[in-house]
Amino acid sequence: MLVSYNKIGKGYIMLSTYISMLIALLIFIVLFINSFDAISQVGLKLFTLEWNPSKNEYGILSMLYGTLSVTVIALTIAIPLGIGTAIFTSEILPSAYRIYVKSIIELLAGIPSIIYGLIGIAFFSTWIASFFELASGRTILTAGILLSIMILPTIVTLSDDAINNVPKKYREAAKGLGLYPFEVIKNTVLPIAKKDITGAILLALGRALGETMAVMLLIGSIDKIPTPFYNVLSPGQTITSKLGREIGESAFGSLHFSALNTMGFVLMLLVIILTLITQLYLRKSNRLYE
Amino acid sequence: MRNILFLSALILLFNACSKPNTKTITVAGSTTVLPVVSTAAEQYKKAHPDTRIIVNAGGSGVGVNQVGSQKIEIGMISRAITSQEIDQYPDTSFQTHSIGKDAVVPVVSSEIFDSGVTSLSLEQIAKIYRGEISNWKELNGPDKDILVIDKEKSRGTRHVFMKIVMGDKEADAPGADLVLGSNNEEQTAVVQSDAAIGMLSNAWLNEDVKGISIIMPDGEVIEPSLNNIINGSFPITRNLLLVTNGDPVGGARKFIDFILSKEGQDIVTQNGYVSIVQ
Repeated sequence: MLVSYNKIGKGYIMLSTYISMLIALLIFIVLFINSFDAISQVGLKLFTLEWNPSKNEYGILSMLYGTLSVTVIALTIAIPLGIGTAIFTSEILPSAYRIYVKSIIELLAGIPSIIYGLIGIAFFSTWIASFFELASGRTILTAGILLSIMILPTIVTLSDDAINNVPKKYREAAKGLGLYPFEVIKNTVLPIAKKDITGAILLALGRALGETMAVMLLIGSIDKIPTPFYNVLSPGQTITSKLGREIGESAFGSLHFSALNTMGFVLMLLVIILTLITQLYLRKSNRLYE
Repeated sequence: MRNILFLSALILLFNACSKPNTKTITVAGSTTVLPVVSTAAEQYKKAHPDTRIIVNAGGSGVGVNQVGSQKIEIGMISRAITSQEIDQYPDTSFQTHSIGKDAVVPVVSSEIFDSGVTSLSLEQIAKIYRGEISNWKELNGPDKDILVIDKEKSRGTRHVFMKIVMGDKEADAPGADLVLGSNNEEQTAVVQSDAAIGMLSNAWLNEDVKGISIIMPDGEVIEPSLNNIINGSFPITRNLLLVTNGDPVGGARKFIDFILSKEGQDIVTQNGYVSIVQ
């Protein structure tokens, strides 16, 4: 009886793993097949600035630029803020309060992105517009800041777990050597937790790259790279916002549809490459404990 | 045991919810036509409780595509179907039903309107969208950069507007600062700015979003009033259309007939559009 249960259990968990893997693979394959038309017909012209379906021009550079710049802004704000918060909740805050502070921050993760978008469009973008004296608050910076708030809970929660998982004995050994609490955190706890914290950042990065609704409402949706290119106070377009706005009106099977799929494919490649680079980098820095 | 009881209660509840004989009509497309159809759907459902009507937005492009790929019964469009769209769906024979008339009105932020810019010629508007005029000063307004709001390329409002203003329904607008989608998204952006110009369906104008008059080549100034839309003197007008695949049958036919009836046409007028019987 027990043996058969074991087998069912094992089969079940194996099946779930295979299904998840298969889904990821299928999405990748479907995206590739659908983007094939655009890749073969548009070719290298995909990496130009002009996007105009009625003239068969499909340049994705401005969308790529938008996605990268929004993500960089979001991470620049969210990483220091998130890791700082995580150090505070796990190392300094008495553990009785930790759970409350953490749940409040995790609440941010539960808010649907359309709500962020609405608040962003109704209030946040108008503040940005009056603060920087802009004609419109729908800018790359606005989307980036809002995105940083959306990915903050991912970084805080997972980094907090990472820091909390560092075995006590290391802290005690460090304290025993006479280090100040600041030095214990900086020289002992953080280096050990580094790998898991990077994992947290990677997950947040994935969300930042893929977030659609809030970004779409806030970024201004114009297929242009601002001049000069670092002027993030101008509107732009991300891959996701472009997909969100245009996938419904492109006919299934058309070159337009295929070009949109290519953008999705590029986005997925981006995530995969970033994940691989981080994995390779982390493999070198071996874990201290175990 | 309690779980099983709970489950069966749940299943019973779901069964009770789905009536066996409900017919569903799905509608999607233009946000210009949307207010008319969704009000009509509510009233139609009162008289026909066994019919469910699901109305979604998305824009004219979405309306045509979804009828073309036969995902919905009725598409809402506020422009003509393009020849490319007809070529894309050889299996679909699009049939349009005119349910009302509307005007696309160039709109400006109330600050600009109040400062005295209340009328522009089509050529001036075209120059703004081409990026040749970029400050309100050049149009006798305040010294402020113009925030030029464009719309997504497949939107019906844009097709109609660009056809008349720039001569090509899919004209590029290199002067544009923002590209938005639905009428209410555009409306919000114009309200939030104090120096914006955009294009809106006549029914979406209000206190904060002022429609400007058009200066005709002969110097006559034409206001975007209902009268001028009815008598055809306002230059940017269009038909509000429903599109089906072939002759509509059953529920879809009855629903379209309802919109064309006196009661349905009253809804068209209440929403700020012009009835086709006028």
